[in-house]
Parts: sequence; structure tokens; C-alpha cells
Amino acid sequence: MSTRHILLGLLASGPSHGYDLKRRHDERFPQARPLAYGQVYTTLQRLVRDGLAEVDGTASDGGPERTAYRPTEAGARELARWAGEIAPPAPFVTNEIFTKVVVSILTGGDAGTYLLAQRTAHMERMRELTAVKTAPGTDLTTVLSADYALNHLDADLRWMATTAARLTTLTAEVRTA
Amino acid sequence: MTNGDTTGNAAQPLLASRGLVKAHGRTEALRGASVELRAGEILAVTGASGSGKSTLLHCLAGIVRPDAGSVTYAGRRLEELPEKRLSELRRTDFGVVFQFGQLIPELTALDNVALPLMLAGAGRVEARARAGEWLERFGVRGQEELRPGAMSGGQAQRASLARALVTGPKVVFADEPTGALDSLSAEQVMTALAHTARESGTAVLLVTHDAQVAAYADREVRLRDGAVAPLGVTA
Amino acid sequence: MSTVVSDVRLARQLVRGSDRREWWRLALTAAGAALATGFALAAVALASVPSGFTVSVFHGLASQPGTRSGVIAGLLLVLVPVLAFLGQCTRIGAVHRDRRLAALRLAGATPWQVRRIAALETGLACLVGSAVATVFSVLLLLRLWNGPTALTWAGIALVAVGVPVLGAAAGALALRRVVASPLGWVRRVAPRTGRGPGTLFLCGLVLLAAVAPLAMSSGHSAGDRVHWQGPLTVFSLVVALGAGAVWLAGATARFTGRLLAERAGTAAPLLAAERLRDDPYAPARTHAAVLVVTVAGTAFLCIRHAMLTELRTREWHLGADMAYYTTGLDLTAAAVLVALAITLCGLAVGTAESLTTRRRALAAQVAAGVPRTVLNRALLLETALPLAPALLLAGVGGMAVGTWYSSLTGDGSLPWTALLVAPAVYGSCLLAAATALPLLGRSVRPGELRYV
Repeated sequence: MSTRHILLGLLASGPSHGYDLKRRHDERFPQARPLAYGQVYTTLQRLVRDGLAEVDGTASDGGPERTAYRPTEAGARELARWAGEIAPPAPFVTNEIFTKVVVSILTGGDAGTYLLAQRTAHMERMRELTAVKTAPGTDLTTVLSADYALNHLDADLRWMATTAARLTTLTAEVRTA
Repeated sequence: MTNGDTTGNAAQPLLASRGLVKAHGRTEALRGASVELRAGEILAVTGASGSGKSTLLHCLAGIVRPDAGSVTYAGRRLEELPEKRLSELRRTDFGVVFQFGQLIPELTALDNVALPLMLAGAGRVEARARAGEWLERFGVRGQEELRPGAMSGGQAQRASLARALVTGPKVVFADEPTGALDSLSAEQVMTALAHTARESGTAVLLVTHDAQVAAYADREVRLRDGAVAPLGVTA
Repeated sequence: MSTVVSDVRLARQLVRGSDRREWWRLALTAAGAALATGFALAAVALASVPSGFTVSVFHGLASQPGTRSGVIAGLLLVLVPVLAFLGQCTRIGAVHRDRRLAALRLAGATPWQVRRIAALETGLACLVGSAVATVFSVLLLLRLWNGPTALTWAGIALVAVGVPVLGAAAGALALRRVVASPLGWVRRVAPRTGRGPGTLFLCGLVLLAAVAPLAMSSGHSAGDRVHWQGPLTVFSLVVALGAGAVWLAGATARFTGRLLAERAGTAAPLLAAERLRDDPYAPARTHAAVLVVTVAGTAFLCIRHAMLTELRTREWHLGADMAYYTTGLDLTAAAVLVALAITLCGLAVGTAESLTTRRRALAAQVAAGVPRTVLNRALLLETALPLAPALLLAGVGGMAVGTWYSSLTGDGSLPWTALLVAPAVYGSCLLAAATALPLLGRSVRPGELRYV
């Protein structure tokens, strides 16, 4: 997922300056990794360079001077193309947990204990996220992003449960290969 | 508060089992399960199918008498109580929510929720009024006069929650309360249960195989082969 | 032919693998079929006796064509509660059988195959019962009567084969819902409307109105042979009476259910009333038999009283011995009592069946702390509530018949004992329902809560 497209998307609702964009991003996508201000600034520079955004004007409102940006015609087209594009469904399977299980077997470690500990950590995080999403007055954006994470953690847990049940076979397979 | 008063002591569990053993025919469902439930806490009991979760719930709720081991509730040993007292305890101090079947198919949702109050001696009019409040609280609106068969699964299950909580129990036992629901209905039912329990300080023993449901709890106990399995230690 | 053989094999395997409830159903079905066969055979044998032939039993009561047709009619009337009992028996464990057959449908069995299997199951049980009854009846018949005619044998064969065939047909008919939808195990049967018995009642009345005048008129002119009009009148009377009683039982159940569901102040009457309101026709078959027996019993006591008074006043004019008449009355009394006993069995079986069908829901109630006393009370009220007004009506009906007869023949006096019939039947019905209570304790096990 590219920061370029997120910023273009946020600009689509009206000209904004960098600090405002960062604030709106963090609001709109709670639970996501917050944007660094420096990253917002450099990304905006690149968008201008590629002709996808342009400077709308500068204002100071009594405070420090701020530059506002707006998307260009090309920027709007690029945004529409990207938003309609299908996200590739898991093109590479990158599974840190699985890698750790295999490494643990290869090095003679205890994969079962590791999986149990990982499970506990997952459950802990799921309880946290559930508490966040069920707190009174939580907005739907927060609920949906928490749900997304919960479903993925749940999928991990299921995978870990079936893997734990088949560790003996896996150990035999990994060690003989 | 004196030291001898154990029932109101926060450090003392509200409900506890020690070394529960229970066999169904030749299969041993429980082999020495020891669990503690503190007042006001939501405890999830998880485990694979056949790990003994439901049997544990039945023993803790005094529905089933274990073959060996003990269950202590608020300082009382359940195995020493006669069936009549157990039944009364289930009616006054406990509430149950099953996956299915605790609503009487011939009664309307309102009468179903009013029933425990009527059993406790309330008049029908008063019981129905209070039941109506509880149904509203759980978002069952405009369906009070429907029978369970005519309600959606989610609505029926919320009516079940209302029925379990209407008498103000100390402990609610929920056995796969969302087992027959789609994920959105499940979320609504669980949110309603967790909220009400926390608000009223009711302890909940939640039996489930679903991690997303277990995540509504404060704590988790995992069963394997009829006994409590260790949770992993996170470094 | 091979399909039937494979169906028989399948039916046998299913029965062998089934649990105790199913054996109860089969055993009671066989018992009911045996009773039905026995009464029908007696009626057939009597009907086939040639005129002028003296039947030695019962003080020559069956020798006179007039009284003989009365005995035949009585035997046919006793068939009503027997058939109600049989109908009740086929419902034991029916939920499980329906599920099993629905599973067969899902496994690819055709609707006809499922129907055949169900029909075979019920039919074979009926065949066993009818065979046993036929063998004993024939042995008894040969001892009493050494020259049965060809007509007798034909009648016996017809009954012996007819009962299982009818049983099989009823078994197949009872399955029509399951057969319609292979997902029958999730079905929620729509409450019966009561239109069926109502229509049947009207049909019976129409038939009766058409046939009765014929029977009346021919009764005077004809000689001593039993004519077709007589049995047909009795038959239409039986249909009208049976269907009317079912309809009345259902209607009073619905009425009391509605009335009390609104007003019930405590848990047990509420549970009972709502169950009645939900499906008033579920217990209607057995309750109908109770009504018929009550009407018959009350009317019989009045008629007996009138006849005995008349006999006593004319005793010295009468040449024939008193025993000729009193035997007839005693025989009728015995028939009414037998009918009552069968009906009470049916009631007990029906109550037990309603418990076993609901045992999961009941187990959930007990788990939730609903006291057993409340459940027990609700169960008894389910019988007590609808029967109270229905039996009141039946008692009044019986008294009406009795008064009418008494005004025709004698001094118009009525026996006070007739007033006791309805309360006595009411009491014995409650006792019969109470026999199922221990079953409530046994069937409500927490084990039922598993695998929900």
C-alpha cells in the first residue's frame, strides 16, 4: 500500500497542508501505523514532481507558513485507477510464525512451546482489540479496523492450532529432508 | 470486615472447582479440572471439541454432579446441596445461555424473559414490565410478542441473554452462545453480554471454541482432554 | 419385486438399530392392532351368523337378529378408542423416525421408497398384532361354533389382512410432510387448523342423514337378516362421532388455551395454556376418545336405569328370563369400561410421548432452574385444562341422550350415578397423565444438553 495514494485520496476532498493530512490520516485509519510528518512532506514533494499534485497556495494564519496542495487532473486519474485495481491476493506467503516453527525444528528447539506462547500473545492482542472496539462510543472506522486485525489474528490462531496438532509429522518431514 | 468472611473477599474466587472428574459412559469428559472464577470477571473456557468444556460448565453450574472433585460457590459446596436447593440456586444466583433451546418455543419472547421473575414470585404484569425493559436493553424491539421460532437467531439469542440476566444473577453460564449465529449477530450478542455483565458486576463463564468470542473475556482457561492445559508464557 | 425386498431389508436394519422408544412404538402398535383385529373379528363373526342359528353364549343374546346387530354396533363403537390408541402409538418416537427417514431422503432415497419403508415398518408391526389376534380368535371361534360359514372365513381373512394394510397406509400418510421436504428434521410443523376433523365431522353427518332414514324404514319391512344400511349407519355414526369429538376436543383446547394464556398469573398455567394455544390439536385424538367414552358412559347409565325400571314393572308379564336383558346391559357396561381403559392407556402414552419429544427443551428448563414441580404441574394442567370444559359438554351430551331415551320409554327418572361419570373419567384421566410424571424426572437429564 502506498503513502502516495493515501495522500492523494485525502487531498481529493479538498486542498490540505502536510500537517492536516497527517492528522486526518491518523484519524481515518486508527490502529494503523501513524504517518511520520517527514514522510508526508517528502511524499507531497514527489507527487508535485510527478505532476499528480500541485501547490494550491500558502497561508500563515498568524502561525508558521503552510503550503496547501491539491491533486491535478492526472492525479485524480491515477487515484481512480489505483482504487479500482484489485489487491493481489497473497502473492507471496510470508509467514513469520511458520518460519520460526521450521527454524525451531531444524535447530532442535521446542516448537510446541513456542506456538503456545505465540498463541497466548495473539489472544492477549485480540482481547485488547476487542476492548477497543466494544468501548462505548467507538466509531465504526475503529470497529472495522479492529475487526480486520481480529479476523487475521483469528486466522493465525486456527493455523497455529492445526500446526501444533501436526508437529510430530512436521518434525519428521523437516528433519529427513 | 473480618477474616472469617470469605464470601465477600475479593481475593477469594466466587466459584471454584477442584479436581473435577466426570465420565459419560466409558468416555471421561473431565479428568481433574480445577478452575476459578472471580466475582465480576468474564472467563473464557476454550478447547477443541470433546475437550470437556460443556461438561465443566454443567458441573460448575450445578446442573451435573461430578463423579469426583468439588465445586465451591460463595463458600458453599455444591455437591452437598440437595437437588432442590441446586435448582433454586440456578434460578436465583445463576443464569444460563445455551447455543439453542433455553427459550420455550410456545411462549412469546416477553413471557420467556418474564418466566424467571414469575418463578421468583413476581406477578405476571410486573414480570412482563421488567422483562420488556430487559428486552429493550438488548435491542429486541417490536418483537416482544413473537415466539422464538418466528425470530431471527440473533434476536432469539438476545432474548435468551435477557432471560439469563433478568433476575440479576451473580454468575452467567454461556455455552457457545454464538454457535448458531453469523459473525455480525455474534458480535452484537457478545457485546451486549460483555457490557451488561461489566455494568452489573456479573461474572460470566463463557464456553467457546471461537477465539474471537473468547477475546471478549478478561481471562482464558484452556481445556485439553478434560483437564486445564497450560497457557504459553510470553517472554 | 427386488426393490420391495431391499426395502424390507432396509426397514429391518433401521428397526434393529433403533433405540428403546422405537421398540415401544412397535410393541404398542402391535398391541393396538391386535385389539382392533379382535373387536373387528368378533363383529364379523357375529354378523356372518346365519339367521335362526342359536349362539349359546351370553344367554342367547346374540341369537336374536335385533340384539345381535346391537352387539355388532357396540363392538364397532369400541373400535373408535382402539383406533385412537393406535394412532397415538404410531406417534411414539415419531420425531426420531421422521429424522431418520429424512436422512434417508438426503442420502438419495426416492419419496416412494421412504414411504414404502415407513409403511412396511408400521404395517409389519400391525401384521404381527393382527396375526396373533386372528389365531386366538379363530381358536376361540372353533370352540364355540363348529360350523362357520364361508362368509365368516372371508370376513376373518378380510379383517386379518385389512388391519395391517390400513396401518401401513396410515404410516405412509403420516409421513407426507417429511417426504415433501428431505430437510424434514429442521421442520417446524405448522399448527393444525382443525379444519380436517371439522370437515370429516360434516361429511359423517351428511352420510348419516342420508343413510339413517333408509335404515329406519328397512328395519321394519325386512326380515331377520342384517342389511347393509345398518352397518353403514353405524359406520357414518362412528365417523361423525369420532371426527366431531376430535374437533370438539381441539376447539375446547384452543379456547381454554386462549382464555388462560392471557390471564395466567403464575408459571405453570402459563406454560400449559401457551402449549394448548400453540397446538390445540396435538392431544385432540386421545381427548376425543375420552369424550366419546364419557358420552357413551353417561348415556348408558341413563338407558340402563330406564330399561331396568321398565323391566321391573313388567317383570311378571315377561316370559323370558331377566338374565337375557341384564346380560346385554352388563356386556355393554364391560364394553364401555374396556373402551375407557384403552383410552386411558392412549392418554398415558400420549403424555409420555409429548415428554420424550420435548426432552431437550425440558432439560434446558431444568438447567435454568425451573423447578420440576412447575413442569409437573404444567404437564398435568395440559390435560386438566382442556378436558374440564370438554368433559362438561360430554356429560351434558350424554345426559341429553339419556333423558331423551328415558322420556321415550319410561317414567323419565334419571340415575344420579350418571352425573358421576364425567368427574370419574376426569379423575382417571389426570391419574393416567400423572403416570408419565416419573418419566419427566428420567428424561430430563443434562445429557440432553450436549450436542445441541
